Amino acid sequence: MNSNLNKKRMLTGNKAAAWGARLAGIEYVPAFPITPQTEIVETLSQWFADDTLRGKLTNMDSEHSMFMAAGAAAATGVRVFTASSSQGILHGLESIYTVAGWRVPFVMVNVSRALATPITLEPDHNDVMATRDCGLIQLHAETCQEVLDFVLMGYKIAEHPLVSIPVLVNLDGFVLSFSREPVVIPDKKAALEFLPPIKPAQPVFRASKPMARASAVFGGGTYTYFRIQQDLAVRQAETVFNETAQEFAERFGRTYKPIEQFQMNDAEIAFVMSNSFATKGKSAVLKLRRQGIKAGLVKLCMFRPFPRKAMAQALSGCQKVAVIDQNLAPGMGGITYPEIVTALYGQKNRPGKILSVIGGLGGKDIREDDFLSIVEKLSDTESNMPLYLFDEGDWNQFQQLQKIALV
Amino acid sequence: MLRIRLHGRGGQGIKTASQILGTAAFLSGYQAQDFPLYGAERRGAPIIAFSRINSDPILERGPILLPDLLLIADETLLEDAQAAPLCGSDSETVVFVNSAKTPENLKEKFSLPSLPVTCKLTELCLKHLKNGMLRSTALAAAGVRLTGLIPFENLMESVEIELEAMGITGQPLKNNLELAQEIFEKLNPRTIKDREERPLSPTKLMIMEQRDVKDAAPFITATGNMAQRKTGNWRIHRPEIDYGECNHCMICYARCPEGVITMDTEGKPVIDYDHCKGCMICAQECPKHSIKTLWEMDHELEPQ
Amino acid sequence: MIEIPTHHKKVTDLHPEEGIAPGSALCAGCGGLEGIRLALKELGDNVHISNAAGCFTLLSIYPFTPFKGSWLYTTMAAPVPAAQGVRDALDIKRSQGKLAEEDDFQVMVVAGDGSSADMGLSPTSAAIHRNLDFIYFCYDNEAYGNTGFQLSGSSPYGSRTQTTPVTQAHPAGAERPKKDLFQIWKSQNPSYIATVSPREPIDLSNKFAKAKTLKGPRLFICLSPCPTGWGFDPKDTHTIAKLAVDTGIFPLKEYVDGQVVHTRVPRKRIPVEKYLEHQKRFRHLFEPTRQNDLIQKIQEDVDRYWEHSS
Repeated sequence: MNSNLNKKRMLTGNKAAAWGARLAGIEYVPAFPITPQTEIVETLSQWFADDTLRGKLTNMDSEHSMFMAAGAAAATGVRVFTASSSQGILHGLESIYTVAGWRVPFVMVNVSRALATPITLEPDHNDVMATRDCGLIQLHAETCQEVLDFVLMGYKIAEHPLVSIPVLVNLDGFVLSFSREPVVIPDKKAALEFLPPIKPAQPVFRASKPMARASAVFGGGTYTYFRIQQDLAVRQAETVFNETAQEFAERFGRTYKPIEQFQMNDAEIAFVMSNSFATKGKSAVLKLRRQGIKAGLVKLCMFRPFPRKAMAQALSGCQKVAVIDQNLAPGMGGITYPEIVTALYGQKNRPGKILSVIGGLGGKDIREDDFLSIVEKLSDTESNMPLYLFDEGDWNQFQQLQKIALV
Repeated sequence: MLRIRLHGRGGQGIKTASQILGTAAFLSGYQAQDFPLYGAERRGAPIIAFSRINSDPILERGPILLPDLLLIADETLLEDAQAAPLCGSDSETVVFVNSAKTPENLKEKFSLPSLPVTCKLTELCLKHLKNGMLRSTALAAAGVRLTGLIPFENLMESVEIELEAMGITGQPLKNNLELAQEIFEKLNPRTIKDREERPLSPTKLMIMEQRDVKDAAPFITATGNMAQRKTGNWRIHRPEIDYGECNHCMICYARCPEGVITMDTEGKPVIDYDHCKGCMICAQECPKHSIKTLWEMDHELEPQ
Repeated sequence: MIEIPTHHKKVTDLHPEEGIAPGSALCAGCGGLEGIRLALKELGDNVHISNAAGCFTLLSIYPFTPFKGSWLYTTMAAPVPAAQGVRDALDIKRSQGKLAEEDDFQVMVVAGDGSSADMGLSPTSAAIHRNLDFIYFCYDNEAYGNTGFQLSGSSPYGSRTQTTPVTQAHPAGAERPKKDLFQIWKSQNPSYIATVSPREPIDLSNKFAKAKTLKGPRLFICLSPCPTGWGFDPKDTHTIAKLAVDTGIFPLKEYVDGQVVHTRVPRKRIPVEKYLEHQKRFRHLFEPTRQNDLIQKIQEDVDRYWEHSS
């Protein structure tokens, strides 16, 4: 690995996403602005306008239209990138489901932001969780570097003949999208060697080879067949991710796995987290260890396909686990929690206690002290309720506001 | 449990017939269920509806695979591979066909599993409703009578309830009631035995392999293959060109929505009966009136 | 000025090839099917259709397609964005020299009036604004036909739909006039707009022949008499279509170069009730008692249209 191939720059998460797309040699971007994603499409607009990128950026009229145009262009055989966030993801959800079923490869970035109601600009993961069942592959980034690398790797996975499915790369709004940190920008030539120009594995629209695509089906059998095939292809993406990550590591020296383990070798207590707050979790783990608590952290990099085995292996033998969901399914709790519990069911050394923690909603911070509260709660008696990270200080602040709001 | 399956074509009121049956059974104190099967098919295409009648709660849902009583709205459905009205029937199934043919004649012609019951419903519809198109009331009345479970007055009440719900009142409703009465009186109840319970046997579930993307998603590269689907079986009426009269103006060709009228080498229009749905636009539009409207069923009814 | 090809004079001039194979699941006597059949005769097979949810979605049911060209089912609101994506991708490949001449095609949208006038209108307006090079074919059966005939923005005043039942309190059924999709498009100054009727194959074909020579957004509104939803015998599809033109309730016209031209002006307009009385959806205007005020209002709207356009 020749480090001279690389240059480092201070980049925001959004810029890193744009750089990933640029190095992937994207040809088409249907675009629509939404905070906190807008910087991505603004950056790409500039690059298409000044000929840094060849192809086209089309300003669309909504996310519903945008994802449809993205899918249709991918079905016509060009390399497509698009990005959205929050309400935009919800508005586009019908199109996302639709084009995922077309089995077209492209990469979309979601800059996570909480959902209405109440409307807010700040981050949590309910938007990306809403796309959980669409039939996408999902990679969640902790750092700006991961954002760039996952976009680049995303194309390789999406376009793999055994996959041919859109890849979603997730990064946290504000906390990562607007945070600058040093990012290695791979050399253009090295990127091209890693990811050559698109060669669609699927038939694409061209007049000399006409076809009908995505026609209606009747009778549940045909529908079931296509859906099972979609499931198998998304599952296959875990193997393809591992192969891709290996090649990526060989070329660029950065190693990725579907599940990252931090201080897990002798951990008695584990936190499961994803995205940028995992950094804070890691810091808390180190501090807890200095206080004599053997903590560790498991980070979900790949959320779809869900890496069941890797998750089970990572958590087996650990006595207590806290799953920190920065999302909330009212009436159920954290969304990743039941998936992790399911992965552990049937494991011999499964943890004795798995706690669901809800925190970081709508931009609310998760403080390092919160992690000690979680550890204490893990020793508590059973409760059917998740642990909400909302303390007396939060309550007092809210009361001040409500006093102003209500007569 | 009595499982009744109704076969007809869109526009014949098959769904309503199943509902008249369901309501009549309900009024007679039975547990009842009725259900139409909607597919992609439109007006004119073969359609199916179901009624279940039982003394105990009905623990079945969805299509009836093994019918006890089959009600077939016209005999042309019997030779229709798509409609396949006899599917799942056996010698215990009572088969009713709207036909002018004798039961023996029908059994032989269509290799039926048993001797069917027949009745000229089309003719009766023409008599009472002034329309030769089969109507829901007729098929339902035949079904009600054949079950032997439902008293006459409950049939009448059911017809009233279901037709009024569709906005049919006054004289047209009266005509339907008279139609139902005549059919009820014409037919005799049949003994339909409860089927023996079949012990469950496991299905052969398979482990599916992942397949190449072009085989794994809904792609159709065989363009224009829709012609493999024959829609000729939709026809209730049949257009027939009188070549002695035809002056080859080709208006019929221009007006046919299906594009199933072509010009032959002599410039004459030719109808593709494999696909003609029988909309009869050609007959209506022919400036010389040289396209006749015939009934597809070969009985003695006059052309319209 | 655009040269106007008018090579169609009689029905035997129609292109002999059929662009749509028979066997589809559409209703017998579907007026819209006749419209798109005639359209594709003129446009040929080198067409990519993006389809919106509606009756015509049933044209291609796996594993069958009636088309010789390409077809993509999208969603109810996004056939136009799909056409945008396909067109953009073709243009990108073209600019890279990666698209053989024979691999390019005419991008087309096929959508019903519900999609065209309601849910799909905002994306369509945006595509016109972007000057997308496409042909839009709207089969207008004046309601949500595929779901069993409910009110759409295109349902005319005084028509009964499943969601505008006629009652004592609501004697008209649909109480608002039909959205004027022609005017909505016209306000954005697209390359071409035409209304067409399946009963007027020569007029229809000549309009498509003209549209073929143009670029940019081009709209066709095809009045599509619907035996099932409008309530008439399938054989009368063309009778109804003809009455729509002869009564003046459906004007045949085109918009090109900033001008609206009527391509068939009824010499003496037949009273509009002749068109209405043939259809079950307007039966309540005549039975059980004749609602003169409503019929009159419909007639006045037609009269006013022609006064203003002459």
